[in-house]
Amino acid sequence: MSILRTTPKRPSVSGRNPFVYRPTASPQAAAEWTRRQIAMTNLRTVVGRAYPRVTGLFREKSWVFFEILLPFLSTSAFVFVYRALQAPPQYIGFVVLGGAMTAFWLNVIWMMAQQLWWEKSQGNLELYFAAPMHIMAVLFGMAFGGFVMSSTRAAAVLIIATAVYGVTFSVDQWALLIGVFLLTLAALYGLGMLLASLFLMWGREAWHLTQLLVEPVYFVSGLNFPIARLGVLGSVAISILPLAVGLDAMRQLAFAGAAYPIGTPSPLVEAAILVVMVVVFLVLSRWALAVLERRARQEGRLSVRWQ
Amino acid sequence: MTAPTAAVSADHEGLGSPRWGGFDPARTRGRGWTDLRRSFAVATRLGWQMEANWTDPLLFFIYSVAKPVASALILVVMLDVISGGAKPEYRAFVVVGSALWAFVLSGVSGLAWTILDDRERYRMLKYVYVSPSEFLAVLLGRGVARVGVGAVGAAITLAVGVVILGVPFDPGRIDWPLLAVVLVLGLVAVLAIGLLLASVCLQTRQESWSYPEAAGGALFLVSGVVFPLAVLPGPVQVLSLVTPLTWWIEGIRRALFPGGITAIGGQGAIFTQLTGAAGPTPAQIVVALLATGAVATLAAAAAFRASDRRAKDRGLLDQTTGS
Repeated sequence: MSILRTTPKRPSVSGRNPFVYRPTASPQAAAEWTRRQIAMTNLRTVVGRAYPRVTGLFREKSWVFFEILLPFLSTSAFVFVYRALQAPPQYIGFVVLGGAMTAFWLNVIWMMAQQLWWEKSQGNLELYFAAPMHIMAVLFGMAFGGFVMSSTRAAAVLIIATAVYGVTFSVDQWALLIGVFLLTLAALYGLGMLLASLFLMWGREAWHLTQLLVEPVYFVSGLNFPIARLGVLGSVAISILPLAVGLDAMRQLAFAGAAYPIGTPSPLVEAAILVVMVVVFLVLSRWALAVLERRARQEGRLSVRWQ
Repeated sequence: MTAPTAAVSADHEGLGSPRWGGFDPARTRGRGWTDLRRSFAVATRLGWQMEANWTDPLLFFIYSVAKPVASALILVVMLDVISGGAKPEYRAFVVVGSALWAFVLSGVSGLAWTILDDRERYRMLKYVYVSPSEFLAVLLGRGVARVGVGAVGAAITLAVGVVILGVPFDPGRIDWPLLAVVLVLGLVAVLAIGLLLASVCLQTRQESWSYPEAAGGALFLVSGVVFPLAVLPGPVQVLSLVTPLTWWIEGIRRALFPGGITAIGGQGAIFTQLTGAAGPTPAQIVVALLATGAVATLAAAAAFRASDRRAKDRGLLDQTTGS
């Protein structure tokens, strides 16, 4: 009697073989996915990758203190610098807006740019590549989960600081302001996806690059002051850094009519710059991922850890 | 033929049992201070290797300096936007404050990141923990390496401030004894705060990478780093006065730039209301730094012991997380 005959029959769910998505005639047929199957799998990947980031918010309560209260205090320090200098009130509003946007930038560099390299060190990266999904779906999931995490921090800093320091916003074009905000986030996370691939190639240096991308980027983005003050450096930052261009556009829209050195493009032009950035960063990140995957497979580096 | 066991006989410092076959408790005691010093030295060297062995010196130099210099430039531009360069003494104040803050952040984050690095990334924390080395000595050694990097960054930021940003500085006026005393006491206080955060990170998940920076941001508000404490509300000023970093930064400012702006005293400051003086004297600074630093050190030691016990109790030493 052969082994095959003695093996018990596999249990079935609703009359289907539970080990494949649908009954198929052969393994080759099982490997041929419909567009719907591909789309659904990628969508599940996005949800699955975002899940730990969103759920993590509720599992560890210490983040409320470290991710909301302390960043608010950090933003407050710059508010008091302006108070010590007896600056006009709109500058305090600049600091508050900048403090809220740093939540997204920090999330992009710590939890997007570094993430694939970190996953490699953890031994998860090869699983991502081996799974039947697009790696871009993983990145979108990371971005969505990170966006939820950062939004809570940004909203808290904005609301608390506005109430405590009496910031008055003067918005004429709400639709454009919301549009610019969303475009800024899309461009930021697009840049994060691109950096994720590049950091993976750069290896251990990525850790130090992350450090390099905090204060120097804050400076060239004009986080706490009008970027026009930086002259040519500010113009260069506006053309390549989503944080710089998005923040400047949002300031112009949120403090309409405030007297401060502008000298930068109008919010509409800056919104157009952001649209270009979104497209360029997404295309580049997809290309970089493809190149990286090919190189990593050729050189056998997908599973090499701690380098 | 010589028996192979002779190589590990009790006559030598080997791994064998004593000749009489029993257990010698003296062997578990180690060599006290010598072992402690060796653990610390090895951990410091290891920390430095991990910080710097991955790149060429020029690149490492850029990474180490860009952050503090950029922090100082943010404040200098903020100052210039409002005052138009009309307050040169305040420029010195913010440049010195942000340079010193780079040192503080390195010290504070160094110890906490050591915990996270070893537990989450290299997954070696449990092995280090069960080794004969004193865990605290290893932790401090690893943190000291990062403090060294921070010190270089702070020194270069000060140099950039003097050479490029025009901060008035006269080496002949430096109060060397005060500088030496506050540097040593301040280093202890910085490491104590770092140990406190390491205790927190021993309990939390992987995302705690940003916690030292966040805690640093909060201390930045209350330590008189870039603005005089007089602009803060009264209760926050009291909190500032019991923070050792406030006195440390004031001490270094006073030692390097005698006669400059004080962060602690001045019109509307609690210190001036209490003492009637425009600012603290060097002796007051040293005594206050000593007292607040001692309290911070004791609190950090107690917190670390409690965290260590809880980590063992809940199996957190080999915890790895992800998100």
